[in-house]
Amino acid sequence: MNMNRRKFLKTAGLAAAGAIAAPYILPSGRLFAATGARKVNHVVFCLYAGGVRNLESVQMMDGNLMPNLLNGTAPISPDIAGAMDILPASPLSQPLQNYGTLFKQVKYRRGPTGHYNGHTVAVTGQYVDIDLNIRAHPENPTVFELYRKHNSPQKAALNSWWVAQNLGPYPALNFSSHEEYGAAYGANFIAPTWLISQDGYDVLGNPKVFGSNEKAAISNLQQFVNQNFNKSYTDGSAGVVNDNPDAALLQSFISDLYTKAQGGQFLNPWGAGPAMNNDMYNICFAEEIIKQFKPELLVVNMQDVDVGHFNYTSYANNLRKADFAAAHLWNTIQNTPGMANDTVMIIIPEHGRNQFGNTSVDAYGRYALDHTAPVDLISGDQMARDIFCMVVGPVGVVKQGQVINTAMGESSDVVPVIANLLGFDSSIPGYIGVKDYNSCDLKAAFY
Amino acid sequence: MKHYLYLFLLVVAVSSCKKESDYIYETTPVTVQQSGAVKNNVKSTTEFISIAYADLFGSNISQAQLTKLGNVYVSFGDKKVVEDRIILNFLNVPGLQIPSTPSVNGDTTAFVSKTYKKFYNREPNAFEAYYWKEQIRLNANVSPLVMYYVLMTSDEYRFY
Repeated sequence: MNMNRRKFLKTAGLAAAGAIAAPYILPSGRLFAATGARKVNHVVFCLYAGGVRNLESVQMMDGNLMPNLLNGTAPISPDIAGAMDILPASPLSQPLQNYGTLFKQVKYRRGPTGHYNGHTVAVTGQYVDIDLNIRAHPENPTVFELYRKHNSPQKAALNSWWVAQNLGPYPALNFSSHEEYGAAYGANFIAPTWLISQDGYDVLGNPKVFGSNEKAAISNLQQFVNQNFNKSYTDGSAGVVNDNPDAALLQSFISDLYTKAQGGQFLNPWGAGPAMNNDMYNICFAEEIIKQFKPELLVVNMQDVDVGHFNYTSYANNLRKADFAAAHLWNTIQNTPGMANDTVMIIIPEHGRNQFGNTSVDAYGRYALDHTAPVDLISGDQMARDIFCMVVGPVGVVKQGQVINTAMGESSDVVPVIANLLGFDSSIPGYIGVKDYNSCDLKAAFY
Repeated sequence: MKHYLYLFLLVVAVSSCKKESDYIYETTPVTVQQSGAVKNNVKSTTEFISIAYADLFGSNISQAQLTKLGNVYVSFGDKKVVEDRIILNFLNVPGLQIPSTPSVNGDTTAFVSKTYKKFYNREPNAFEAYYWKEQIRLNANVSPLVMYYVLMTSDEYRFY
């Protein structure tokens, strides 16, 4: 066979290109497959949200308000110390930062410093430069959708959870409106302080229970009536969809939570008495999900520090409660078989707060703080863009006891970091716009 | 000739003085219903809850109850799960208007037809009518409560 050099090179080049491209075209028709090695099998992303200023957190301007997370014994400023609620002793043997890496100067780089914007950036890994429609799902795919779509085999919704402290726009963050993703890849969403409430119990707590024979008949009849209708309600309008066995598990889980609530198990679950706030309850219910389902990806938020718009001292007090709750969450993870020593937890506020106070003065003479950094990134008070980030996890995966004092990392790093930890970052198509893991400063937390 | 003239006048008089008939125009009774094939719109949350309540209790849901249900509805992401739970709770509330089993056995075909019109706003087709009639007659577990639950948690009930 005659083959000149040019033809040989061309043929060899095509063969090589085919060899490179072939692994990405799967028999299933999917273009990409998850190929990366996982660093851990579980990620918990704790949005220490509501707007936390570095001055009060890592810079400890009023003393160490976060002793469960941060090293340091600086006492709380005497003028506000008396207003702080008494909290239980730390569930951890040492502050959480010692179990990982603390980044003290992280940026919320662009866009309005609003709560929904900040949450959207956190769960999509992409900045939004405009005020968002709070009734709409994000345009860019969320980390839940990326996780579910780009893992091979694909993951069930039961593996991913978005646990929100409040309603408003937040239920919309479990999936995007992106045409390639959407509800089919969304996370299970729960706002437990609304669902597991007296109102919730009144309308959902006493369901009719069918016997096993009735259930069998119902299953057949449901199949019959749905086959006779030419549309499916689950095509997007029904939110995230769990298959029937998983839906049954969810029903059972909800019933169990109502039973526990009726039995008084959530009256004072952490021994914090009247200090227990909504943030703490939200984390408490996230722990119930962790214990029941051991999700691979769970995102939970706190927001009570946002009282800072009106009352600085209450803001400081709630910062302490969020600190206790985050430590409690980590303690639960480490006491949950299947997640202990196989989980990375990332803690980051969605944005900070202004340097200069507004006109509200509390009973202790402190000025309240908004979070209104101008979007030109230059003018006015830009302090609301300054945040911290803590990454904790197993020895050998996360660098222990590391503190990074220089400016490193930004809000949009979190999603690619999660993707890398769970082994699917290389499967996310470039045109989606998620930052490349290798250009993320937060990777300095890992070996 | 004169006779012919009288006869002619008589004929004219009889035919031209005929009393007018009173016609009453009426429409034929028509059953307004919707084919399952043309239900293209998904009920809103409020519509779904309000209609389900009215279908089961024969009265309007109170605003306070609707607000409670609306809040818990949005507090869970899988709407099929939460809707299932809403219906199951409705089915356990006193005051539920549901036919008793004996009357169903009395005229199963009429019960199926009435139930389809109640929940789907249409008559069952022949196959549906036959299937349900057989299920109700042959399977003791297919009670009116079961049929209500199945129809109310179906895809078609979520559309209009």
